[in-house]
Amino acid sequence: MGKKKRRSGVLLLASLLILALLAACGGGNNGGGNQAQEANGAGESPKPADSAAIDTSKKVELQLYMLGNAPKDLSMIESEINKMAEEELNTTVKFNYTTWTDWDQKYKLLLSTGQSIDLIYTADWTQYSSYAKKGAFMALDDLLPKTAPELQKFVPADFWDAVKVDGKIYTMPATYKEFVTGGFTYRKDLQEKHNLPVPTDLASYEQFLLGIQKSEPNILPVFMNSDMKALHWTYMDLNKSISSDVPYGLNIKYEDPANVIQYWGSPEMIEELKLYKKWQDLGLIPKNVLNSKDDGTDVFPSGKAASVFGLNPTKYNDAKMKMEAVHPEWDLAYVPYATTTKIAPPVHPIHNGFAVPKNSKNPERALAFYEKLVLDKRYNQLTQYGMEGTHYNVESGYYKMVGTSNTNGFPREAMNGWAWRNPEYMLFDKSYDNIQEIFDELDQYQTPDKFLGFAEDFTAYQAEKAALEQVEKQYLYPLYAGLVDDVEQGVALFMEKAKQAGLEKIQTEYTKQWLAYVEESGIAK
Amino acid sequence: MNRISPAAAPMRMKPQKENRLYLKKKKGILQELVKNRVLYLMLLPTIIFFLIFSYFPMIGIYYAFTRFDFNTTMFNAPFIGLENFEFLWKSGTLTKLTLNTIGYNIAFIFLGHGLAIFVAILLSELSGKWFKKITQSVMFLPYFVSFVILSVIVYNIFNYDNGFFNSMLTSFGMEKVDVYSKPVLWIFLIIFFFLWKNIGYNMVIYLATITGISSEYYEAAQIDGANIFQRIWYITLPMLKSTFVVLLLFALGSIMKGQFDLFYQLVGNNGLLYNTTDIIDTYVFRSLKVTFDMGMATAAGLYQSLFGFVLIMTVNYIIRKINDEYALF
Amino acid sequence: MTIKADGYTKLFKAIAYTVVILFSLVCLLPFVLIISASLTSNHAIIREGYHLIPSEFSLEGYQAVFRFPEEVLRAYGVTTTVTIIGTCLGLFCMTMAGYVLSRKDFKARNGFSFYIYFTTLFGGGLVPWYMLITKYLGWMDSYYALIVPSLMTPFLIILMKNFIKSAVPEELYESAKIDGAGDFRIYWQIVLKLAMPGIATVGLFLALHYWNDWFSSSMFINDTHKYQLQFYLYNVINSSNFMAQMGISTGVTLAGDMPTESMKMAMAIVVTGPILLLYPFIQRFFVKGLTIGAVKG
Repeated sequence: MGKKKRRSGVLLLASLLILALLAACGGGNNGGGNQAQEANGAGESPKPADSAAIDTSKKVELQLYMLGNAPKDLSMIESEINKMAEEELNTTVKFNYTTWTDWDQKYKLLLSTGQSIDLIYTADWTQYSSYAKKGAFMALDDLLPKTAPELQKFVPADFWDAVKVDGKIYTMPATYKEFVTGGFTYRKDLQEKHNLPVPTDLASYEQFLLGIQKSEPNILPVFMNSDMKALHWTYMDLNKSISSDVPYGLNIKYEDPANVIQYWGSPEMIEELKLYKKWQDLGLIPKNVLNSKDDGTDVFPSGKAASVFGLNPTKYNDAKMKMEAVHPEWDLAYVPYATTTKIAPPVHPIHNGFAVPKNSKNPERALAFYEKLVLDKRYNQLTQYGMEGTHYNVESGYYKMVGTSNTNGFPREAMNGWAWRNPEYMLFDKSYDNIQEIFDELDQYQTPDKFLGFAEDFTAYQAEKAALEQVEKQYLYPLYAGLVDDVEQGVALFMEKAKQAGLEKIQTEYTKQWLAYVEESGIAK
Repeated sequence: MNRISPAAAPMRMKPQKENRLYLKKKKGILQELVKNRVLYLMLLPTIIFFLIFSYFPMIGIYYAFTRFDFNTTMFNAPFIGLENFEFLWKSGTLTKLTLNTIGYNIAFIFLGHGLAIFVAILLSELSGKWFKKITQSVMFLPYFVSFVILSVIVYNIFNYDNGFFNSMLTSFGMEKVDVYSKPVLWIFLIIFFFLWKNIGYNMVIYLATITGISSEYYEAAQIDGANIFQRIWYITLPMLKSTFVVLLLFALGSIMKGQFDLFYQLVGNNGLLYNTTDIIDTYVFRSLKVTFDMGMATAAGLYQSLFGFVLIMTVNYIIRKINDEYALF
Repeated sequence: MTIKADGYTKLFKAIAYTVVILFSLVCLLPFVLIISASLTSNHAIIREGYHLIPSEFSLEGYQAVFRFPEEVLRAYGVTTTVTIIGTCLGLFCMTMAGYVLSRKDFKARNGFSFYIYFTTLFGGGLVPWYMLITKYLGWMDSYYALIVPSLMTPFLIILMKNFIKSAVPEELYESAKIDGAGDFRIYWQIVLKLAMPGIATVGLFLALHYWNDWFSSSMFINDTHKYQLQFYLYNVINSSNFMAQMGISTGVTLAGDMPTESMKMAMAIVVTGPILLLYPFIQRFFVKGLTIGAVKG
């Protein structure tokens, strides 16, 4: 009986294998094939195009990539958009989201593996300038007048200039003016109750903190977590640095951009670190702050802390709204650093934008579509606020969400469409009035952002940069948290290690690039 | 002429001979393939699988020697030699990192398996169906706690200001201990949490192996009057040896690769602890978070791989000399 | 003699029970902490940290997890399907591989063992891997990307080989061959039965691997309907990490409420719950004597 059965066993096995392989290959082809079909398939319905200059005879599907999480009702919005886009541009769009899990890694992969992506979000914090410099995006200078002339007119010329990297435009900037500068957020009710100074600089802030510590033992004077740079940034902001985050231990003052100062190891730095040491000794900075896992949401509504530094006006307002919902008897107030420093640059144009990656197959259609997204009210409001009636209502000119954020499948700006905000079509929640008030106040100190336009090229000192990152975490962060007993000695050790990692090489090269930028952009004047 | 010919003759002969050998060998392979065709067929999915998902992507190792640019593909990117490896020793910590990584891994391997064997033996000798069921399941629980969540719990236990541990010390009238500024303590804590999380997993392997031991051995031992300790010592432990050696060998190859999440989540940004808790993986992650250069990332991986490769080849060679049974390949 | 042996046994049992109970408690404690936290109100956690008994009982964590129940249930569906299909397919391939590699008369076994082991040493890194899956196989947004790449691991194959080697005596192959059984039939009818504890172990590990996998979703799935359950948990945690690290400096505002501490813990419980039931099921195979019965029967 053996032989026959063995045969059938072998046959069974072989056929299983073949099936599995076929299935695998088939699956692969399907995935790719469908897309190809959709992309190339049937130019049957050539529609007269709105923007006359581009050829829309062929139907294409655009791949748009945005950071963050997709809203629950995305597919509903997507199909509405596609109905219009198909008719007007013979185009459909797929909105893809990276989620916040490993978004920086994914962002890099999307750009470097040759996938065909037509539109992708850019910002200063996604390293727009570096990517542009390394050639990840398509230069848009020649395409814009042809494919998105309206958009080109709509965005002011100085915005286009500001996003240029090596003289070329690589992203389409947002035009909505907002301030993301920092400020002190504090519990006004407690400040008044105990007759404490209003925090306007670090000295008065310290008095405020100590007062809280003395009279409210159950509340933390200030909330901090393991991101110790936040404190350092505040310090730099208040000292009128050109940016809170000039890298590699350099400092550049806002008034004098051509003068690059050696900050690490300087007496000023030691003074800064001694302040943190003092705060640590006074118990204002939690002892294990470097390991704190607290992400800082709900510090105010839960009554955990009496102040937070660094929040921008919008964040402050969020916190205030949340707190008042639970504890209407408490009061939160905000002092922007700009009231002290008189420097308040509104967001730099590169802060929000969309670029066309180098591997895009349909750059023309991408730009035409993006123009619609910004300038066509139907496209714009649909992608920012959802479907009127289902997701939101307009009440006396204000945005009103239907239901709560726990039931609404598309809350305000759920698609993270920060980049295609159009000030003319924007709808605001009632609470936005508070923010506008702060913005108006900041307007009087408005100054241009001199720093973000600079595109650093770190190819020459990549290894040193990576090594320095480690040294900073290991030796500088404990100093930021005030955990090193002898500050001078700690700084000396840190400097020794930093120099070993190649600090001088980095600084020399960076300074050279920066000065060239100052020269070229004329910001020193 | 005469002087040349003797030398020339064998040279002419050689190809022929080789050819014959080659033919013979080829025939041997064919024969082997035909004879064991079923076995080969059964192995085929595995072979194809690793070819596609492991060997094919290995081409990417070449990235380690090039400078990445969006305008080039992998193969026309400029070759830059060992430049990508530089950042590893630039900060002057490579030796320390290497030693830390190896040290922790050795502790993980030996303590991890030792304890797992110990607990597996205890459990296998105990009776009480429900007791065993429940305890085994409970020991598996930590495996499901992700390190992100574990780190939150650990912080809640050990933080200085209001941690569980310190509140307890104060309530007993003792001094608080600032655990997060004591690097040496973390050697033990990290090993402890590794064991805590992984013992359940390893224990199952040994439990399954013990289950596979024929009960005839134990019956014979019982008749000979061996007590329970002797039974464990003379029967159970030797039977577990081969499993242990294989797992040990397996682990040696990745001795330079660390439990990234364990270290990264528990230590995080706390530079005070890096001297004793930094391993290669955490270092590479932190260093490249800003630049995220794939050439440098690949270079670091290659450094780890080469070390493991040399080690495992040597150890496996030695083991095969001693006892072929235990060798990995 | 027997009395003495009993004394030893008693001593052993005393030690064993103590150790096992103590160890179980250590394993259980953090879990109790998580459960308790998941049942505590979020503000109480932020203020006071964790307690073994909820200081302010609340179900808001679970309510937040299940605010769109269909999403969580769908993720459950994806993970369960992927786990079942992947484990069955993977076990089939790995038991075959383990069997072949454990056969002493199979000359190429060392070569192939090396072929498999070598892949744990060297890897090309993330980029080629990503390109392979998305570009060459075209598995973006496909269930294949969740199942196929995790079918086999060298560790489990070597483990399988070892289990089979110790469970099936060499002589059995000889006698089976004399009886005229082919290689596949030996595997199908004898090896699979004898190596059951080993197969159960490897199956458990593989199933756990699939269940705990979030990386595949993170890299290869854009369609929110195909997210794995674990990815759900990770994304909840990562979204709030992002806000903590980047939020302040970027001026990014996110729509809707951010996940809360109690929600993270509730999510951890929701994700872990069902797979815990798998272990007691596997335990059936760890009862002594089962193998012996199989040989005789």
